[in-house]
Amino acid sequence: MKFAYYPGCASLAITKEYNATTLLIAEMLGIELVEMVRANCCGAALFNDQNRELNLTMSARIFAQAEEMGCDILTLCNTCLMVMSRAKKELEDNPEMLKAINDNLAKAGLKYNGDVKINHLLWVIIRDIGLDRIKKLVTRPLKGLNIGAYYGCHILRPSDAVVFDNPDAPNSLDNLISALGGTPVEYAGKTRCCGFQLDLVSPEIAHRMVGKRILDCKESGGECMVTPCPLCHINLDSYQGYANKLLGVKLDMPIFNLSQLIGFAFGLSVSDMEFSKHLVSPESLLKTKDLV
Amino acid sequence: MKIKVKIKRCDPMASGRCEAYIQGYDIKAKKGMTVLDALIWIKDRLDGTLAFRRSCRSAICGSCAMMINGNPKLACKTQILKEFEKRQEILIAPLGNFSIIKDLVVDLTPLWKKINKIEPWLNPVGEPPETGWIISREEAQRIDNESACIMCGVCNGGCNSQEGDPDFIGPSACAKSYRFVGDVRDGSKFKRLEKISREHGIWNCMRCLMCNQYCPKGVYPMTAIEKLRAEAIGEGIVDNFGVRHVDAMVESVRRVGRLDEAMYTFKSLGFLRAVGMLPLGIRLELHGKMPHPVIFPEIDGIEELRELMKTVEEKE
Repeated sequence: MKFAYYPGCASLAITKEYNATTLLIAEMLGIELVEMVRANCCGAALFNDQNRELNLTMSARIFAQAEEMGCDILTLCNTCLMVMSRAKKELEDNPEMLKAINDNLAKAGLKYNGDVKINHLLWVIIRDIGLDRIKKLVTRPLKGLNIGAYYGCHILRPSDAVVFDNPDAPNSLDNLISALGGTPVEYAGKTRCCGFQLDLVSPEIAHRMVGKRILDCKESGGECMVTPCPLCHINLDSYQGYANKLLGVKLDMPIFNLSQLIGFAFGLSVSDMEFSKHLVSPESLLKTKDLV
Repeated sequence: MKIKVKIKRCDPMASGRCEAYIQGYDIKAKKGMTVLDALIWIKDRLDGTLAFRRSCRSAICGSCAMMINGNPKLACKTQILKEFEKRQEILIAPLGNFSIIKDLVVDLTPLWKKINKIEPWLNPVGEPPETGWIISREEAQRIDNESACIMCGVCNGGCNSQEGDPDFIGPSACAKSYRFVGDVRDGSKFKRLEKISREHGIWNCMRCLMCNQYCPKGVYPMTAIEKLRAEAIGEGIVDNFGVRHVDAMVESVRRVGRLDEAMYTFKSLGFLRAVGMLPLGIRLELHGKMPHPVIFPEIDGIEELRELMKTVEEKE
């Protein structure tokens, strides 16, 4: 199983632990990840605000590179997934636009044939690896741990381009939590927004969203949360302090990324999982559950 | 199939405040039955006190927007058994982001006020011609999606930005605004764009895509917001944090090929606001997360990327 690996900018920098832990679990699962060293940033949905053709050209450049590598794309980031999937659909629906974009790419010696598929790590784990195989690899079941699955937005919407889970009632991440021995928590905000895109525009609104999502999970019995998206992780973990201050609460909610939760259940060490990179440490929670 | 329909109810008019409770009704759901069919049956046969809005029963009037299993939908356009299958239950609640009048009836006044704010009428460019205004098919198609809005409030009801900021202008008013900004007969494009670029305007949309996902008429409000933003930038309305955010992103990709987070944050926020984030920056550094503030490695092939970006940008 081989993929053109597009971790997304965040996981190469501020959430680097997501990239590091993904490489560890990929090896255990036999997923070969070939890094796309020439790939550009997808624009995190911002290119569209300036120039729609620039947005499509930037995504198509990534697709053309993946086609040259002969692999489908695997990303860790919900937003990269959404931006690229939306661009792919737009190019599929509009052959004239595809031609215009290919004219642009030709100047860089590239061509997009329309064959690439874009995957999120979560999808590959559920669809290609399968939860039965995941269960067999679990050596440290997350017993007694009440975990809120935080899907975020862009792994579900818009579902005409981002096609996997049911956007109304997703269950992939919840099923994964169960397969790892944990207990998924049902709460209302799991498919709603963390506010990431307003972090640098209207920070206070973004911080309020962070607080609301975590409070909602906590009040429903969640002791920690897991997210497949590095941008959600930045907000829920790094910005949790701002949310505390704004709402006058002490949330103290550890947030795992997808690969950390899997790797930890597979028996990898706390240091391998780089929990120390989180601003809200999960270690005391894991201790009370006798997991470390 | 026998199912229990759970409805979130409350009666602030009687008690003075909304003490919500869930009431269950057993019904026999048949294939093809909509949520609205079920509500009408419940009101007729089981409980006449249940309050909800409805009129056309065919997704034209936009009266029956509500939360169905947590998502904003029109009751008349949603089949109850399909919805039940998704969660093995069905919970109907009043439309989100609005205050409740009774049961499933919400106060839509803020929706109308916001739509009114964007001047939802044509401000003709010059004197209207005496013989009617002929526009081309292409010109009409530009605003096809936005013209289909029935003002049901589904998009505002699901909107995350409105949840975080009740004064946010909202997806419906944005779509309505583009319906006129994109109309060749309208003469107030700049004024409209200038107004909607201000605080609580287009730049406060957090791109969660709820509106594009759940709009029952294919209006795609978030796509309209993207178009408004591009039009506003094109008109030179750039003095706000939203545009700085976009510029910082494009600049970063042109410089290093990807997102240089430290510099991007600094450029988006400006000096003063960035200084306010220093304590967080230090904490991130202590946890080994902070990207290098000055040196950021370029991707391989950066020259080729820059050329490509230039090619596209010069086309405009």
